[in-house]
Order: sequence, then C-alpha cells, then structure tokens
Amino acid sequence: MRILLDKFSKSFGNTKVIEAMDLEVGSGEMLALLGPSGCGKSTTLFAICGIHRPTSGRILFGERDVTSLPSQERNVGVVFQSYALYPHMTVEENIGFPLTVRRLPAGDIKKRVADISALVHIDKLLGRRPAQLSGGQQQRVALARALIRRPDVLLLDEPLANLDAKLRLEMRSEIRRLQKETGITAILVTHDQVEAMSMCDRIAIMKEGEIVQIATPSEMYNDPRTAFVAGFLGNPPISFLKGKALGGAFVSGDGNFRLPLGSLRNVGDGRALTIGIRPEHFGPSGDLAIEGKVAFAETQGRENLYDVVLADGSVLRSIQPVRDDVKLGDCVRWNLSSEAAFVFAEDGRRL
Amino acid sequence: MIAPAAIMIFLFYLMPAILTGIFAMTNMSTATGISGGVFQVTQGAVNRLGPDMPELASGIAEPRFVIDEEGLAALEALKLKPGYAAELRGQHIGEVFASRREAERVIKALRDRPSTREVKQISDLFNRSVLNTRFETREALIGNLEKLGFKLKPEEQDKVARETYTGWVWTTDNFKVIGNSPDMAKIFLNTAFYVAVTLMLFNVSYALFLAVTTHYMPPATASIFRAVWLLPRITPVVIYVLMWKWLTWDNGFISMFMGQLGVPPKNYLLDNAYNAWFFVILINGFIGASMGMLVFSSAIKAIPQTHFHASEVDGASRWQQIRYIILPQLRWPILFVTCYQTLSLLASFNEILLSTRGGPGRATEVWSLAAYHTALNNYTGNLEYGLGAALALMLVIIGVILSLIYLRVFRYDTLISKPLIED
Repeated sequence: MRILLDKFSKSFGNTKVIEAMDLEVGSGEMLALLGPSGCGKSTTLFAICGIHRPTSGRILFGERDVTSLPSQERNVGVVFQSYALYPHMTVEENIGFPLTVRRLPAGDIKKRVADISALVHIDKLLGRRPAQLSGGQQQRVALARALIRRPDVLLLDEPLANLDAKLRLEMRSEIRRLQKETGITAILVTHDQVEAMSMCDRIAIMKEGEIVQIATPSEMYNDPRTAFVAGFLGNPPISFLKGKALGGAFVSGDGNFRLPLGSLRNVGDGRALTIGIRPEHFGPSGDLAIEGKVAFAETQGRENLYDVVLADGSVLRSIQPVRDDVKLGDCVRWNLSSEAAFVFAEDGRRL
Repeated sequence: MIAPAAIMIFLFYLMPAILTGIFAMTNMSTATGISGGVFQVTQGAVNRLGPDMPELASGIAEPRFVIDEEGLAALEALKLKPGYAAELRGQHIGEVFASRREAERVIKALRDRPSTREVKQISDLFNRSVLNTRFETREALIGNLEKLGFKLKPEEQDKVARETYTGWVWTTDNFKVIGNSPDMAKIFLNTAFYVAVTLMLFNVSYALFLAVTTHYMPPATASIFRAVWLLPRITPVVIYVLMWKWLTWDNGFISMFMGQLGVPPKNYLLDNAYNAWFFVILINGFIGASMGMLVFSSAIKAIPQTHFHASEVDGASRWQQIRYIILPQLRWPILFVTCYQTLSLLASFNEILLSTRGGPGRATEVWSLAAYHTALNNYTGNLEYGLGAALALMLVIIGVILSLIYLRVFRYDTLISKPLIED
C-alpha cells in the first residue's frame, strides 16, 4: 500500500522537529529513513504508526486519510528498537497478541502464529518467554508480531541496532527476504548507511527535520546532492578538501596544491569550494597524480586502508587491494580519477 | 562488625517477640504482678478449693482458736489475773478449738472465773484464722495449716499452694481460654471480615484503580491527583478520624443534612454494627489505599513506554492494555501490597480505637484491639498481660501463615526464576 506524507509537520512544545515534509513510499517498496540521531526520522516513523499525532499536514495510507486515527485503527506493524516484547507472555502469546486483542478464535490465532513463526524460523521456540531468547530470536519474534495481522505497512525502528555484527548481517537479509516475500510496504529507520543501502529500494536521507535527498542507494552514492549526503554514505567515508577555484583548477593552501578538474571550467575564479573524493577513486590508477605521505595504514584483510597527508596538510583516504609495499611514513605518488571527484559549493550543494 | 548489629537486633527486634512468647505462656495480670507473689488464703482461693476439698475449704474459712505461747504472752501483757495465763499454759497449751464457742467454754471454766467481758477479750488473743493472712513461703502456709489441725496429703498441699499463690505462674491456659471463648470466635470473624474487605476493596482494588487512572492522565495532572490522594496518609490519624467523627456524629454533617429532610439526628458511626463497619472500613481504606497507589504507580512507570506504544500499535484498547500489559506486570507489587497490608491491617487498631473503640458493643472489636483491651486498657482494671500476649502471639503466627500462603498463590518462585538464554 502506498504511504504518503503531505506537508507533515511535528513540533513538541516550541521545538519544531519536522516542518512541511513530503514523502511518498510506493506500494511494496522498502524505504530507508537515514540520518544522524536527532534528525527526526523516528518522529516521522511514530507519526506514521500513530503514536505521535502530526502538528499539521496529512498522512495517507493508499487513499485513506489516517491523520487523526489512533494507532489501533491504522493497521501498521512496528518493530521497535528494543523489540518491546511483553516479558510476561510466551513467544506464542506475544506473536498472537495483535489477533488476541481483535478477539479472533483461539484456533485461528494458533494457526496463524504457527504460519508466521515458520516464516521467521522461530516455530521451535513458541513456549519460551522473551527473557529466554537470544537477541536475534527476540528480533524475529518482534518481526512476526508486526507481520501477523498482515499490516498495510511495516515500520522498523533501528531494528538491528541491538544485535552483534554477525547477527546484524544475517537479519539484514532476513528482513529483506520477509519484506519481499510478503510484498509489504516497509519503512526502515536507521542511522547506519550500510543497513540503508543494503536493505532498501530507496533511501530518504534526513538532516535537521528535512529530507535532503531521496533516491536509490546507487544513485545516492554516485550522485549525492550535497556534501552531507556524500559524507553520510560510503564506508570508509569520503575525504573532503577545502580550497577555491582558480583557472579551471582547485587550489588549496597557499596555492602550492593544485588539481585541474574538468568540472571546474565554468566556475568563477576565487569561489570557495569543497572537493569530495571517495577512497576507491584515489590509488594506483587514475589520471591525476598526487604526492603525499602515508600517515595511517590499516589492513582489513581483503583491502588496505591508507590516509595520505598532502602538501597542504589535508588528508585523502585511499582503499586498495591488499599490498605490502607501502609502509607508514612512506612518500607515495598515487592517482586520482578526476571525473569521480565531487565538487561542492561553500553551502554544501553539489555544483 | 557483626556484634553491634547483632546486639541491636537482639535487644530491639528479637527480645520483644521472645518476651511476647514468654508472657503468652503465663497468667500475668495486674493481680499477679510481674514479679513473684505470696501465699494467701483468699475467699476466692477458698471458693476454688471448695469442690475438691469441701472440709478443708469450710474449715479454712472459719476462725480457729489455738492456745499457744504467742497468745499467752499477749494475755500476760494485759495484766489481768495471773491465774488465767498460768492455768491455760499448764492445762490447755496446744489445744485447738474449731469455733469460738468451744474456746470460750474452756476459758469460762478457768478457776479464777473471768468475767464475760474478759472471756471475750482473752478468746480474741487466741484467734488463729489463716483467712487473708499472707505467707511468704509455701512452707509457712502449710506449717500454719498443720498447726491449725489441717492434716494435708502431699497432693493436697500442692493444690492448696497452687490455689493460694498470688503471683504469676507458667500456664497454657491462655490458649485454652482463647480457643473456648465464644467472644474470641466472634472477634476472629470480625478480624477476618475487616482485613479481607479492606484489603480487597481498598488496599488493592481501589489503589489499582487510582494508579491506573493517574497513568493515563497527563503527567502534571497525575502528580496533583497523587498528592491529593496521599492526604489521608499524611494527615495525623487523630485529626483524620476526628473529621469522620464530625461527619457522623449526632450533631455532625450527615445528621444536619438529614435533619433538613426531617430525619431525627443520630450517631451514624455507632448507630448499628453495619454503619460502624462501613465507616471503619472507609477510614482504613482511604488511608491504606495511598500506599498501594504509590507502589502500583511506580511499578506502572517502570513498564517500558514502548510496551504501551507496541500494544497500541498492535490494536489493544485501553482496557486491553490494562488487562494484558499492566496487570500481569504488577503481579509482584500486588503480592507485596497484599502481604504488607494484611500484616499491617492485622496488627493496627488505632483507627478503630479512635473511631468506634470496637463498638457498638463489641461489634467492631478486632483481634489486635482485643489484645490491647485485654492487656493494656481493661474496663475492669485487671490488665491480663499474659492473655494479651497470647493474643498477640497468635496474630504473629497467623501473619506468617498468611504470608506463606500468598507466596504460594502468587507463585513466588516463577517471579524470581532465572532466564535461560541459549546461543
């Protein structure tokens, strides 16, 4: 089902958290609300499920205006960050709870709990209580409880934040699998760009209550609209160089560092700029040679990560296939793909 | 470091309980005192001896006349004719007369012929009655009785000593008295009724109602309500009960109001047993409910907010939230309040004492109040410490038994069971 937020605003007392936000999530789509903490992503989620009422604006499920409906009448499934499993109920009672409060016959509930728990692979744990489950199992119970009454939309609030690294990887694909199998519209709230990129069809990146950019993961990675977006996506993160435009080139420091970039041909001299270079675009291959000194070296097994201090003191990050000929403190002369460098204006907009 | 704590615990915690136990096994009262006693043939003792030893009982009660050195010395001191004393000493020393008449017949027959007035005077000197005489030891009592001609077998001596002893003795009679008294049966039922009704209606149900209501209020409103609901607890109980008395007295508010409707004024508090119970339970209930309210409120606050969010999203109405989310998670606080309030209701009687004093009649007399009345504030003036301590001891035992039952009913073991987390 399509979800539409129309000029949605939310303030708590005098604090405006979200102002006039527009967002459309297509039917069957999985969208990530990505942003740093305090950007309003959870507030948006809570407004969609009805825990918070919008200060103004509308929320539509399909064609139905649910703005003033209480949570109970919205038919949403939510997986909370803490899972919010009821500690005094067994797994079976937890999963069946949304149906119990609808007073479905016990037999039907039992059958549907069995179905959904098989789907999330916890059908052997139905008799346990939440305290007797591991983190990943609790997560699956929370998912099952959110899905059991076939909600119009599945909302996931930082669902993987409490899991260890290995489980997080596993549940990432698990949640995506379930979302695809059920064809449900889903919104994932996260501050982890890897989660957002790997699980979702589209990402809406938020900053201070506004959506900065909304696009598919690869679009957003390759074509960020602002320096904030470029900085938020990518691991290891992008490096930024500050300087100005001079004769179709980027110049920094006292002018002794110069990068001729084709994209600067039409930019006026003296304009303050920020250049963003992703670590994979700085290394042995490329068209622009840059010299510097290795200030940090780290191996991640398959790849090595280097920080290179340039002549003007700024730092470029590089990620390369493992090699053991470069040591900490070595002077290197590596290349940059000039086409791949992003140029941002002083206010962070991409030029 | 254990020693100071152990001393404190022993002196101020264990000793009162131990002393209660000790007192409960005695017949201490104002009459016996709490130190030792003496042997005294009172009319009461004579009455008690009557059924088993009628001869002795009637004999003791009568005066006895013995011609002894003590009497003779007194006679000589009177300076009558010296012949009286000489003849009595020579002829009659050691003789015992069962009545004044027999003694006087002998005195009258003396050779110096005493006058009638002198006969009377002399016989008085030889009057050796034991009735109301105090003997410090049992030997003194028995010795005197033998001198008076009462020959007692050892078991008879035991009985006489037991019945004439005025101090306290070890006994289990207190528990027999409690067990056999129809009054105590009524008081037991009163107590059960009072504790059960106050506990269920107010200390738990009403407190739960208050806690749940405030939970669904905005925080500022909720704190105002909670503060107001604490007032009965904060108000000194004397003042609080006085308010209720003003409300219910025959010149109180209810009477005034009913007077407007033409109903003659009456004391609604002590009018009849039903009214008395009604107000006693209300007074205790409103004071007692505040504690439950506080405990339940904080317990509800301790439920993570996301449980409420989650249950709303899951479609639960408020009533379903209360039933499925709040109440099950309040099992431990409810157990605690039930236990604690049962014990405090069993033990406390101040509100009842201040309002109805157990009346009308003994309609609202509860166990602890009966213990107080028996041991500390008895209408007849004979404070029965031993019986009162026995009543108190039974209260402690009942409290312990009830606590154990509660732990069973609320399945305490599952409340503290450890999780078994795997993989």
